Amino acid sequence: MTQEWLIGALVLGPLALALLILVGPRGWWRDGLVVVAALATMAAGVELALKGSATLTLPPLVTEIATGIEPVVIITVLFLGFRVRSWLVMGMAVIQLALAAAGYLLERGHETVATVIRIDPLSTILVLIVSVIGSLIALYAIGYMRQHEHHAPTTAASTNRFFFFIIAFLGLMNGLVLVDHLKWLGIFWEGTTLCSFFLIGHDGTDEARTSARRALLINVFGGLMMGLGGYLALRLTGSESLSAAMASPAALIPLALLAVATMTKSAQMPFQSWLLGAMVAPTPVSALLHSSTMVKAGSYLILRIAPHLGQLAPVVAVAGAFTFAVTCALAIGQSNGKKVLAYSTIANLGLIASCAALNTPLAYAAALMLLIFHAVSKALLFLCVGTIEQTIGSRHIEDMGGILFKMPLTTSVAIVGMVSMMVPPFGMLIGKWMAIEAATQSPAVLILFIIGSALTVFFWAKWIGRITTASYHETYTIEKVSGWQIGVLLTMVVAVILGSLAAMPLYHYIAKPVSLQMVGQVGDATMRTLLESVDGLVTWPIFVVLGVVLLAIVISSLFFRCSQLRLPFLCGENVEGGAQSYEFRGIADGTETAMLNSYYLSPVFGEGKITAWSNPVAVMIIITLFGVIVP
Amino acid sequence: MITSHPLMLLALLTLIAPFWGALLSGIDRKLTARAQGRIGPPVIQPLYDTLKLLRKTPIVLNRIQVVYAYLHLAFMVLAFLLLVLGQDGLMFLFVFAFSTLSLVLGGMCVRSPYSRIGSQREILLMVAYEPILILLMIGIYKANGSFLLGSPFVAAKPLLMALPLLFLAFLVVMAIKLQKSPFDIATSHHAHQELVKGLTLEYAGPYLALIEIAHFYEIAILFYFVMLFWASNLAIGFVLACASFFLMVLIDNAFARLTTMWVFRFMWTGALLLALTNILWLYFR
Repeated sequence: MTQEWLIGALVLGPLALALLILVGPRGWWRDGLVVVAALATMAAGVELALKGSATLTLPPLVTEIATGIEPVVIITVLFLGFRVRSWLVMGMAVIQLALAAAGYLLERGHETVATVIRIDPLSTILVLIVSVIGSLIALYAIGYMRQHEHHAPTTAASTNRFFFFIIAFLGLMNGLVLVDHLKWLGIFWEGTTLCSFFLIGHDGTDEARTSARRALLINVFGGLMMGLGGYLALRLTGSESLSAAMASPAALIPLALLAVATMTKSAQMPFQSWLLGAMVAPTPVSALLHSSTMVKAGSYLILRIAPHLGQLAPVVAVAGAFTFAVTCALAIGQSNGKKVLAYSTIANLGLIASCAALNTPLAYAAALMLLIFHAVSKALLFLCVGTIEQTIGSRHIEDMGGILFKMPLTTSVAIVGMVSMMVPPFGMLIGKWMAIEAATQSPAVLILFIIGSALTVFFWAKWIGRITTASYHETYTIEKVSGWQIGVLLTMVVAVILGSLAAMPLYHYIAKPVSLQMVGQVGDATMRTLLESVDGLVTWPIFVVLGVVLLAIVISSLFFRCSQLRLPFLCGENVEGGAQSYEFRGIADGTETAMLNSYYLSPVFGEGKITAWSNPVAVMIIITLFGVIVP
Repeated sequence: MITSHPLMLLALLTLIAPFWGALLSGIDRKLTARAQGRIGPPVIQPLYDTLKLLRKTPIVLNRIQVVYAYLHLAFMVLAFLLLVLGQDGLMFLFVFAFSTLSLVLGGMCVRSPYSRIGSQREILLMVAYEPILILLMIGIYKANGSFLLGSPFVAAKPLLMALPLLFLAFLVVMAIKLQKSPFDIATSHHAHQELVKGLTLEYAGPYLALIEIAHFYEIAILFYFVMLFWASNLAIGFVLACASFFLMVLIDNAFARLTTMWVFRFMWTGALLLALTNILWLYFR
């Protein structure tokens, strides 16, 4: 297939199949189409990556189509704003319409600019993340939604619509990262906003509606920033091509607006609330939003424009680093598993944005590594938590004690996922390591990185400690979960492990060359030394040690006898066969229960405590972003 | 000569390190005993204790506990190797931290309140001192232009000259890692009333021995690290390290224990400010 056809398969293919799902019946038709869409998108994505870089110029008609679609999208937003009774959304949509009209008048005299598709390493990496991980999540959703319909029967009627938006999301994301035209970028951007609005509101509960409304409001604000940036770029630089407009020195104001747009999409502070609300949706939605789509649109755009940020770069870097440090602290105070994951996502997106804006090859390479590994690990973790939640009926960390026995497979996968977020030699840690070394050139960013990474340990350790808590059991039986779910979980866990084994080659052969190409200059001599010294890291000894430990465990379990088992010390005689071995004999032989929850330290790390000061600081940083471009 | 071959030297060092750690720990006990007017155990008592533990019947609460004990020791040895080989400082730190984390998780994975309290406190301690250790690595990078832990050996000036305040902050971290009062809140050499033995309460027999051996390695790592501050002349480095250890014993006997949050606040204000001041002047230089 030529690359034009591949682009069609990646962008229009999912959209067409999504439509077929929407109008078709439930049951095997829908599931079959989801499988076809997922596999086809995955294959097309891999094929595109194998074909290598290219720049395709599409016929002028494509640009004309964009001019036609733009008002339709904005009017849809306006209509939705009316439906959720949000005057703010409606107002912003009206401004968007005016901007679109003004842009139309501005370019009417000129000849139509051709839409350019740019397949470069950055967009290829994003296409791979979207089409492989996104498709895997869609496959997982087949099994999950069957269960979900069972738990919430009222939503069953709209499951086809649910899959319509999931599959369409993949097409829109692919379009977003491939297109090099501001108008099309804006359309895809708003398109993902609309998809996420419907997906978050899927369950139709009050909580779901509120969250969907908030997501719409914040992302339409981001869309407005984007529209304004696009219009000003056209006005100031006379170009509608993203790459050409941003490279122009006159584009500082549009760049600042686009940077704010990326912050809304990536849920950076102070816009983080929509992503936290998004977890009311069925788990595949959270997995999709947090790992491969939506928030990664923001990361993509900041990586795209970072080399042109100029004097804005230090502010964007501090904004990202600030989000990283603060949301790591926020995650400590949460006992809701999905919320911990959400804050960890926001933190890592901040880290990615900050690294991108540091604008050195090492930092940029760190951002790419984090982007890739975060997508895999976080998708895996959300899917695990979803499966756990469906089984135990709770998403609270303190309720997850003993699940290692109830669902050994999912829990083991979840442990690998958590470990891959913070332990050497897994990919995320390699990325974080590079980020800290790269941040040595910018002390303020460095200190925020250090604070954030120290806090990270806390919330992951508490969680891993809770889910590995178990009494002794002779045998473990694998839980019954649908084959779709188990299959996808196992595929992803293999991807996490293989990816981490390949982390250093990935840096050497992909991340380093790509960032040299994107950032363009190596910087001063010290940065060059760092770039090369990072390349010298060998991670295989760590894997060898892990292997030795594995061997030692196997050998010691061969010598294990049940007579070696004891009950924990509880400051009194244990009650034999007592509930979960927590019970002991107290005064006058009464039964006492000893329980201990983890530290959440809400007086320090509570949501209200921290956001009270951090949201205003984040707003100040954004104001600074515009302050630095005032002549 | 056996020491002429680098691999042999490495193997030799790895073998000697736990004995050196045990010896230091024995001297510590002797000094403490003398300070309290007791005669104290022989200097190699920690070695006897560990050998005895190794010969005992294993006793466990569940199988996961064992996994964490092995991980703790394996990653501690790996951290020691990375340090001796002069590898990247930050990576050394992450491996070192994961070793401690394994111990924490080992304490958390059992249904024992005392052990869980110990674990929670130990994580808080980790969060408290980790920034200082990372800043120390940044300091090494700023002073020597490299993150490699071999760089202090080839530097013109001893590290202590460039990082005096960070050295002080590091001494505090060392007191925490060696479980010295006032920082022995997660576990301790002695059983405390409110915590029994804390973190390692539910470990016994050979698995407790694994943790003891890992702790000997940890002592050796800390000793070696102090020597890095005067690596150009290892004799001076050695004296510096011995003096630091003596200081630790002194502090241990002079202070009472404090609360976890006090330690957290102290580390994130006092010690962190010391470290940051040192880093800042390196940036402005």
